[in-house]
Amino acid sequence: TTKGTTTNSAGQYSLTVDNNATVLIFSFIGSITQEIVVGDRSVIDVMLQEDSKQLNEVVVTALGIERNAKTLTYATQQIDGKKLVDVRDANFVNTLSGKVAGMVVTQGSSGPGSATRVVLRGNRSITGNNNALFVIDGVPVDNTVRGQVSSDFGGINGSDGANNINPDDIESMNVLKGPAASALYGSRAANGVIMITTKKGKAGKVSVDVNSGVQTESPFMLPKLQNTYGQGAGGKSSENAAASWGAPATTYPNNVKDFFRNAISTNNSVGIAGGTDKVQTYASYTHNYNQGILPNNDLVRHTLNLRLNSQITKRLTTDAKITYINQKVDNKPRSGEESSVTMNLYKVPRSVDLIGQYSAFEDANGKPTYWTSSGIYMNPYWTLNRTFAQETRNRVTALGSAKYDITDWLNVQGRLSYDWYTDRNSQSYSNNTLLFAGAGGSYQEFSLDQLERNMDVIISGNNKISNDFAITYNAGAGQTYNRFSQVGASTNGLSVANRFDLSFASALTQITGFSQKELQYVFGTASVSFRDYLTVDASVRNDWSSTLPPPYSYIYSSFGANFILSDAVKLPSWISFAKVRGSWAQVGNDAAPYSLAQTYVFSQGGTGGFISRSTQRPAENLKPEISSSTEIGADLRFLNGRLGVDFTYYNSNTVNQLLSLGLAPASGFATQFVNAGKINNKGFELTLTASPLKGNALTWDVSFNMARNINKIIELYPGIKSATLGGNTRTTTAVVAPGGSYGDLQAYGWAKDEQGRRLVNANGLPVVSAFQTIGNFNPKLTLGLNNTFSYKNFVLSFLVDGRVGGIMVSGTDGNLAYDGTAEYTLEHREGGWVLPGVTATGETNTKAVTAEQFWQTVSQGRYTWGEFFAYSTTNVRLRELSFGYNIPFPQNFFIKNARLSLTARNLFFLYRGDALMDIPGLKTRKLPFDPDVNISAANYQGSEYGALPSTRTVGLNLKLGF
Amino acid sequence: GSAGIWSGCTGDFDEINTSKTAITTLTPTELPYLFARAQQQASYAAGTYQTAQNLYADLFAQYFATTTPNFQSDRYFMHPTWINSHWNPIYTQVVPQLKTLFDQTDPASSQYALASIWWVFAFHRLTDYYGPVPYFDAGIPANSVKYDPQDKIYDDFFKRLAAATQVLKGKTTEKPYGSYDIIYAGDVNKWIKFANTLRLRLALRISKVDPARAKTEAEAAIAGGLLTATTDNAYMVKNLAGGDNNGLATISGWGEFRMSAAMESVLKGFEDPRIGIYFQPAFNTKTYEGLRNGLGPTELTDPLNTNDNNSNIGTLWIRNTGAGSAWDRQLAVRQDIMHTAEAHFLLAEAALNGWNTGGVTAQQAYENGIRASMEGWGITGAAVDAYIASTKTPVAPQDQQKSPPLSNITVKWGATEAIQREQVGTQKWLALYPDGIEAWAEVRRSRFPKLYSVVNSVNTDVPTSSYPRRIPFLLLEQQSNTEAVQAAASLLNGPDKASTPLWWDKN
Repeated sequence: TTKGTTTNSAGQYSLTVDNNATVLIFSFIGSITQEIVVGDRSVIDVMLQEDSKQLNEVVVTALGIERNAKTLTYATQQIDGKKLVDVRDANFVNTLSGKVAGMVVTQGSSGPGSATRVVLRGNRSITGNNNALFVIDGVPVDNTVRGQVSSDFGGINGSDGANNINPDDIESMNVLKGPAASALYGSRAANGVIMITTKKGKAGKVSVDVNSGVQTESPFMLPKLQNTYGQGAGGKSSENAAASWGAPATTYPNNVKDFFRNAISTNNSVGIAGGTDKVQTYASYTHNYNQGILPNNDLVRHTLNLRLNSQITKRLTTDAKITYINQKVDNKPRSGEESSVTMNLYKVPRSVDLIGQYSAFEDANGKPTYWTSSGIYMNPYWTLNRTFAQETRNRVTALGSAKYDITDWLNVQGRLSYDWYTDRNSQSYSNNTLLFAGAGGSYQEFSLDQLERNMDVIISGNNKISNDFAITYNAGAGQTYNRFSQVGASTNGLSVANRFDLSFASALTQITGFSQKELQYVFGTASVSFRDYLTVDASVRNDWSSTLPPPYSYIYSSFGANFILSDAVKLPSWISFAKVRGSWAQVGNDAAPYSLAQTYVFSQGGTGGFISRSTQRPAENLKPEISSSTEIGADLRFLNGRLGVDFTYYNSNTVNQLLSLGLAPASGFATQFVNAGKINNKGFELTLTASPLKGNALTWDVSFNMARNINKIIELYPGIKSATLGGNTRTTTAVVAPGGSYGDLQAYGWAKDEQGRRLVNANGLPVVSAFQTIGNFNPKLTLGLNNTFSYKNFVLSFLVDGRVGGIMVSGTDGNLAYDGTAEYTLEHREGGWVLPGVTATGETNTKAVTAEQFWQTVSQGRYTWGEFFAYSTTNVRLRELSFGYNIPFPQNFFIKNARLSLTARNLFFLYRGDALMDIPGLKTRKLPFDPDVNISAANYQGSEYGALPSTRTVGLNLKLGF
Repeated sequence: GSAGIWSGCTGDFDEINTSKTAITTLTPTELPYLFARAQQQASYAAGTYQTAQNLYADLFAQYFATTTPNFQSDRYFMHPTWINSHWNPIYTQVVPQLKTLFDQTDPASSQYALASIWWVFAFHRLTDYYGPVPYFDAGIPANSVKYDPQDKIYDDFFKRLAAATQVLKGKTTEKPYGSYDIIYAGDVNKWIKFANTLRLRLALRISKVDPARAKTEAEAAIAGGLLTATTDNAYMVKNLAGGDNNGLATISGWGEFRMSAAMESVLKGFEDPRIGIYFQPAFNTKTYEGLRNGLGPTELTDPLNTNDNNSNIGTLWIRNTGAGSAWDRQLAVRQDIMHTAEAHFLLAEAALNGWNTGGVTAQQAYENGIRASMEGWGITGAAVDAYIASTKTPVAPQDQQKSPPLSNITVKWGATEAIQREQVGTQKWLALYPDGIEAWAEVRRSRFPKLYSVVNSVNTDVPTSSYPRRIPFLLLEQQSNTEAVQAAASLLNGPDKASTPLWWDKN
């Protein structure tokens, strides 16, 4: 007979055996199985050996179930939680950059608290979300990205949900790159999943972890400005000029640099873990304080986390967790052009003593002081001190689950989770703030409330059918409910000047919002394995969504297989592990709420308000969206696991997307809601790991990742040539057009004749081209190289990452050129610049121009010919550097372990790209901004305009374990 | 199987998926709100006013000149996306509401008639920018909507106005839409006058291309009764709430335009009492100053051309609070839609054309027009009499370009028809202020007043010696309504360029 048991979390077990000859088989995933004859012993302690031939990783799969990575049929990449707490950022998501093959991380441009965009395997959704899904302990996190800037006029980028995640609570992270988890999470998993497992208590002695860090941040990169010529035009000084095309003058080289501050950030966390056999507890508190590089801008976050695991009976276990987050962001800066602090700063002529003369930003009457009268740009000190934005978030996530082992091969699990937050946001513009303040000033305030509730029941079982066949299976049903509501008001005018509360409003304009959605689902998965080396997976899921017309239902499935060659056949000894895998997965998707019926909306104004038909034409024959993707991959380990290769090729087609596409306005609608399009993403991901040195004293581990994604827009919708992702003709518009790729950027450029010669006008100046595609915002290739050296108690690691390909257009650069403040405008100021080109009639140009004429032709400041200010975003940088020392303590000392690390992030570029256009007679212009920072974290990418500079961080971190 | 069991749980799905913040079924109670929306959106409120009107028509009519080098439309650059805001509100905000009203009201009702008049008002402003536009199929959901020739559109305008006034004549006691008519609060008598004046406006517009139809329509309109009293002035209610702001006031604080040299020459030369209403003294000089249209970046740095040395629009719309760039915008001030004065000037021209004006002479109508305009702006009495009798002529504005006086005409009624026509055109131009859309249309048709040429043009189709005759079709249409806009090119009198005159433009 065969009987079995499992250990408790402390590793203890008990088993009644029939006789002394009984053989105990000890197995644990990732370990070498041991067989021990009981003999006359009553206590048998076993230390399982790590199986170096196998993948050591135990990964948490979609079901929240730990599974040996080697049996997976799809690509994943595991990240140790410890790797996420050394080098820090206000938004931990930003620190994932370079660590995961194929992950493209883009920051919004509003400093701490800005949303971050995380894209795996390319963009596929035109009007929807392309972000990977974050799942914590099996429960999806609401990561709604709110209020992103959609045009380069600018705004304040809203927060997302993922930036609230506290890295100090993370035990491990596993990235599922494809839609493999869609059986459980539905359409939200279509863009890949970042599965986070948080820490929990362990039976035994109480342990305390303390992590304390301090960082200083400074601008990573500022525009290069000229320091020779002053305010003026045509080479003559003039105080009426907004630009720096005047005569040589005393300039203020540090105007820009000194405006920013060296920001200080601290993070302090304490985590206590402990418990008995029956109950284990983990409790933590984390305090993050992040200053922005602009004075007055900071973020404070408190995170309280409590987790309770209990074994109520032998068969019944429970897991309960509650996390409370309080986050406050003061004065998140505007990005884009209008009233952004950075644009106001960059617009200052070089000969204006900004700090000396204008840091006192208002006169005795409370009026702004400034170097000239502009209708748009203000004294940046005014913007800093007289415009305000506040965001406060209170968030509670709670999870309760109970698992009951019906038999030793079948269990049932029920889970209930809530993710609920309320935001209270306000913006204040003091009286006399250009563009934004009404009489007395302007104010807006609103609260929003976001709730997600998940409930599911899952039955899981596993059986050994025969000696060769084993089966594991899950069947479940669940419900997800989302609700969003907001209420507030704005006033363009305050009856009592600068009293920032709605009580003082001249006239209130209401802000309301409400939407809700319910999704119900059933799913089943099964995995059959043959002799542990061949596994076949299948899953099927049926969703019922409230956003669809009856019968509300759609179904989708997935299949996968893997084959562990090294277990099936005898391979040469230098091959320690070899696996091939393949999978095919469908993902279904529903619509946004309220897409089916024509709506009419109320707005205030006139005598008693207005009602107008929504400009979106509702979906007439809405079909649920089903897309599919295929991937194949191989995982190979050589030389006892010291060298590893993981390769994945994928090909996904997103078809019949539910899109809001532009419609000819003459139809009475601006957009229509349709099922349309076919978008193909294919590419590969490659991870190489090696341990070139594995001595007792010195070890060296290397991991390298690389990914390529190729996107093709195969079709859109009959009669529609392109869909806009965002932007306008002032800098660039990002579009999706058949035949092109997602995120092609269109702009004005320099016209060419049929022979490809550049055209100039009668004055020898460039002729504008049609508004046309000049590039694409996506990288062609992403790279990451991580090296870790350990010598005794010292650990040195550094991460180099890079991206190859892609362009961005800079509205900031267009302004600096127009204003004659960019360094490259020093050339040809005195004239004599004959552009090689031909006139419309084909004659060679002989007319000389000045730099001022040239730059003011190709840039009208606010309105630029984008091709001239487009840059290759190819760059390679030293992303992270960390030097740690594990402080040794004697055994039984009250401190168990301690680690002191010196860290730095965004150190320097090893390489950065050039301007897209090589302008004859000018030195090559290098990428003048950090392409990690985009105008927003939404689908409108490829545009830089008044972005807050990214930062270089240097920090010191102390980690203590008790 | 399971789906059947499960569907028991989807019972509340339709309720969940019904918006609480919007209306899905309209009732008659809601119709007046739709009319208010159509009215508001046809006149380019708040932010759209700038790119729909101010950066084009207002500049081409030379009411204002651009002071910021960023904006090149004053140098005749036809930005292919700015003017979306002239197009989109008409089709996506005016048309849907009016079509709903056409569908849900009786064609013989006063509600229908008002919607029909407003349809003409909205579309004549649109077609006079581009020429052919989607008209008869406007608002029919389709991927492509065909363009219609301007003569057919005008024909429909006249038919609609004739039908609407016919209906309204029998409904003068009704108050259609009540206070939700944000112009006349449902005053049917005023709407009849408005519709007739609009009909006369359109009749004169086609007077060179179709004189016979013009005469017929004009005489019918005159016989039907035009705007007469100052209280007939069509003003639209504005409201601070909802950002339903006066468009001109909204943009006047942005420091992007000031009084034009043309306005300065005429208002100063005539010693026009309206100068202090239309404009305010320049912040620095405390005098009224204007600048020429089409100045380039270097010219704009000249002290004579800066914001603080030139006149912003009048204190009705914006008040200076003591510093050059500190302005207090009067955002909720009424928006001017149509002035009674215009009816008199249209009548004056009708008289000069020899049409039946019911006995009113051209001179009477001209002088009545001046009086009506003055009175509308609060100026009455001896000052007006003196103005009408004045023999003063426009002056040189003493600007950077040392421009000559715009003309040598007087306010006092001239001796020849040629002078009289220029006087009527010039005074109408003054009276239409600040409606640059109508002023630009009439400048193109009548060539009055004789405006300055722009200092620079960046548009090779429209050199400084010329002037824009239309706005090219939109980039938006090339992208979203491709076949239709390509087919529309054949409906033009020339290439799809700013230099191609419209159907009614016979200059």
